[in-house]
Amino acid sequence: MGLSLTVNGDHLTSTADPITPLVDVLREEFYLTGAKPVCREGFCGACMVLVNGNPTPSCLVPVALAQGHDICTVEGLAANGGLNPMQAALEACDAVQCGMCFPGMVVSLTHLLATRPEATRDDIRAALTGNICRCTGYERIIEAALLALATK
Amino acid sequence: MDTPASRSVYVAPSLMAALDALDEGGAETAPFAGGTWIMRAPIRHEPLKSRYVAIGKIPELHAIKVEADVVEVGAAVTHAALAVALTELPEFDVLTAAASRSANPAIRGMATIGGNLATTAFAAADCVPALLCLDAEVEIASRNGRERTGLEQFLTMRSTLAPGRLLQRIIVPRRGRKTVHARLPLRQAGDYPTAIVCLAVSLDDVGDVQTARVAVGSVEPVARRWERLEATLVGHPLNAAWAAEAAAGLADEFTGRDSVEVPGWYRVRVLPGLVRRAIAALGS
Repeated sequence: MGLSLTVNGDHLTSTADPITPLVDVLREEFYLTGAKPVCREGFCGACMVLVNGNPTPSCLVPVALAQGHDICTVEGLAANGGLNPMQAALEACDAVQCGMCFPGMVVSLTHLLATRPEATRDDIRAALTGNICRCTGYERIIEAALLALATK
Repeated sequence: MDTPASRSVYVAPSLMAALDALDEGGAETAPFAGGTWIMRAPIRHEPLKSRYVAIGKIPELHAIKVEADVVEVGAAVTHAALAVALTELPEFDVLTAAASRSANPAIRGMATIGGNLATTAFAAADCVPALLCLDAEVEIASRNGRERTGLEQFLTMRSTLAPGRLLQRIIVPRRGRKTVHARLPLRQAGDYPTAIVCLAVSLDDVGDVQTARVAVGSVEPVARRWERLEATLVGHPLNAAWAAEAAAGLADEFTGRDSVEVPGWYRVRVLPGLVRRAIAALGS
């Protein structure tokens, strides 16, 4: 019997072993390759998705325990093909980088924008503690988040 | 996907159902709380169990009860939830800080206090020394009932707990002490601490230390109290420089654990500095 998942609003079925990390099912069964399995330890944030609206490293979630929850990947953030305000600010600030860490950054910052409209620069930095960038391009990303917060 | 196809995850709807499943599953079954340690088993080249009993849906394991004389914390309470619940209780500053500064925000929303205490091989757990200095006790449940034991004792027996037993809750006495958590990660945040010093003290009428608990984490494989430093602090006023000097003279009792991040000697070397920071934070 398959595992039933709700991903980006779609009802999908996985045949994976129940303990399989969610990130592997997203990528290899559902072809949602925005989330990246990089450290597989919950440190780097490249596999970050929203589970019931909360940023969650999908490398640490067994697919069996993702059932019954709303999962949103970076592919699901741009509703109807339009960028969300955080994505638009990142583009406007030319903050988009190589793509390894960036989907996770977008997921974490989208959550911050939705839940902490009063967030400061320090709050943004704290929110990105679990998103590591090997390009070290944090500052433009933070500037973009500040822009998104200011124009919300 | 590099996982054998013979595993199962049972989501227990109640504590009794979890205990039954753990008991019947024997040694090949383990509880699954936040998963932040178990899911990394392949990275550590450790085999996964064939069956896991997920305890995240059991209501009583998520409860935090603040009573006049104790605080009781269910084993499946996350670090994030614990930090929020204790924010208004200054006597638990050490635990609030431990729960709110460990790892990163997403991990704090998943990792549980029970997992932090029960994971034998995780030396850098922030909440373990915090709870040691607070004289916490733990309650272990099984089909046959409950047993309560001190955290220090639990740390010595946790690796040999018989199958079918589950850490149910943590009981922390309220003693109105001043407490503080000092940690040294390699990066400013989002990292394992090189060393942790947790402190709980009560002061007499003239400001001298009446009772002291000092616990050290991440230096050795298992967190423990620093009893010689505790005894040294008693009877003296809080003085960060003096306490750091005393700590430097007593630090040779620790044998630091080597790891890829830092050599063992370095973990010991930073202890006096952390003692200084801890005492200073208490207002020496």
